Amino acid sequence: MATRNKIQPSLMIALPKGRMASQTLDLLIAAGIPTPNGDVGRKLVIEAAGENGSETKNLRYILAKPSDVPTYVEYGAADVGVCGLDTLRESGRNVYEPLLLPFGRCHLSLCAPAERPNTPLRYESMPRVATKYPALTADFFRRRGVNAEIIALHGSVELGPLVGLADLIVDLVETGGTLRANGLVEIRTIMESQAVLIVNRAAYRLKAAVIDSLIARLRRVI
Amino acid sequence: MMMIEERTPNARYAPIPRGVADYFWHEAYRRRELEASLLDLFRRWGYGDVIPPTFEYADVLNARASEKLRSEMYRFLDRDGSTLALRPDMTIPVARLVSTRLHDWPMPQRFCYAGSVFRYTQPQAGREREFRQAGVELIGAAGPEADAEVLALTCAGLEQTGLENFRLVIGQMGYFHGLLDDLQLTPDQQQALLDAVDRNSEAELAEFLRATPLRTQQRRTVEELLSLRGAEIDAVIAQADRLCLNYAMHSALENLRAICASLDAYGVCDYVHLDLTEIYNLGYYTGITFEALTPELGFSVAGGGRYDNLLGAFGESHPAVGVALGVDRILLALDEQRGTSPPRRPRLPDLAVMTRRSAQCMALVQTWRQAGLRVEVTLGAEDGQEAWQAIRARGMQALLVWDDGRFRLYTESSDNNSPALLSMEETQTYMGGLLSNKE
Repeated sequence: MATRNKIQPSLMIALPKGRMASQTLDLLIAAGIPTPNGDVGRKLVIEAAGENGSETKNLRYILAKPSDVPTYVEYGAADVGVCGLDTLRESGRNVYEPLLLPFGRCHLSLCAPAERPNTPLRYESMPRVATKYPALTADFFRRRGVNAEIIALHGSVELGPLVGLADLIVDLVETGGTLRANGLVEIRTIMESQAVLIVNRAAYRLKAAVIDSLIARLRRVI
Repeated sequence: MMMIEERTPNARYAPIPRGVADYFWHEAYRRRELEASLLDLFRRWGYGDVIPPTFEYADVLNARASEKLRSEMYRFLDRDGSTLALRPDMTIPVARLVSTRLHDWPMPQRFCYAGSVFRYTQPQAGREREFRQAGVELIGAAGPEADAEVLALTCAGLEQTGLENFRLVIGQMGYFHGLLDDLQLTPDQQQALLDAVDRNSEAELAEFLRATPLRTQQRRTVEELLSLRGAEIDAVIAQADRLCLNYAMHSALENLRAICASLDAYGVCDYVHLDLTEIYNLGYYTGITFEALTPELGFSVAGGGRYDNLLGAFGESHPAVGVALGVDRILLALDEQRGTSPPRRPRLPDLAVMTRRSAQCMALVQTWRQAGLRVEVTLGAEDGQEAWQAIRARGMQALLVWDDGRFRLYTESSDNNSPALLSMEETQTYMGGLLSNKE
């Protein structure tokens, strides 16, 4: 039987716009993986030509909105992506997540005005919760048998309690500075988050050689 | 190419539900064609047709369905108050049919089908809520040759569609089940392990190992679990063999080894990729599970496996193995692979004929149709010129107008103010040309 065509080992990598993109690029450079040269600018798809013969040649990068990275990867529009665990779990996308990356550490917390009495959440009848993470928030309350009213916002969630929009908020906390400035305190940690390398389920098998090599190189510099 | 003016429909608001689609023109034709060619292939492998009902009692469909499949079923009430469900796959209805009505017919029994199944999922490209499957069930055969036959037939089916570069990723549920039996985990621990393996997450696996007390041997197996995959079949099996903890794991590997040996005889080993970490399909599968992947799509174009306990849920128990090919997904992958998509216009007949109600002409039309040409008879127009304008507006290439024992031929390339007059003999030559063009 004739050998079948080998699958082109060209790899599409989705990076989240913002700080995590540059942190990922630094890590890729440290691992000796070809990255786009110079200013990425406004171009959305960038080629990075690697040395011939290496397994990680023909890399292409796209810059995507962070919350879209899991979508790109699940659909196979990108083979590999980098995003936060928080974004990934919120998206509910079905991808492989073989490697945690050493940046983007933060936690997703339930926060309340500092003056809220410290009573168990399950005593609440229907708290109003403002968040950018409606799926994770709903799940958190459902597990406690509480039917929360989730108010999905796209930014400045910590304003919610100040203006009477919400009783509680669920948001990412890195240092806690923003919270303190708005008179809020963390009352529960919903999840710990950090950056994670995600891989499309089909690509993980069909481009196993090049993806395994990428993961191995990254692991050496983490 | 003619231009079609975009008009707002002068219709009432009449939407269709999410997750279903109207297929028409080429999109409808290619679905029917693909299903017909797959059914034809299945029949040539000795499979006989089956048409299960579109809906049945929900309890029956529920019997061995996974939690996920259950939550995705469309349920509704019958007039008498019993709960019905639309079939979420073809396997459960066929298993129910064979175990309750054909259980004493000599085994093995081979069935093939094509049709719609229904699942309540988030609609995406290639994941509608109503989607079409073509597949086979091979019932009453427990040996590895049966698994190999279904796997080889899957390859033959995908090859026939013109799909290139696909891979068949094969797992063995028995291996993982055997491991779980050995580990004796609490439900929470088991969920943590399943999540870690399902996500292929090293970090979560490490966390599981840290939090769960295990014997040394067990620990070593779990540690290496995620590496049990690859196209080097012998190497993967050899590694998995060293990690066996009990007889169940061992016999799962023996089974896999025998199946791969049979696949070798079919000459399809190049397509095979083993993956013992593939546990996504926890449900009624008991032995091998597999899915076919292509580089063009991020999800599988076919999937199946062995389900030895499913028939027993309805009546007499028989081992069985089957596969379902995703018709819509295969077409999507073919479009991606070729970089084209079908034209957004009707499939046009080869030519139109204006018969002027002549019996002689009508008889000719019938012979052409029988020969395989698609011939449309014009309606309404009495004048050749007028009929030609109407035909052209629809993008068709040729019109024959009956003229007392002869035909006037209108085509794009001829002078249509004085169309060529063809004798009967010239007409047949012209039709011969059309026919050979088709082939």
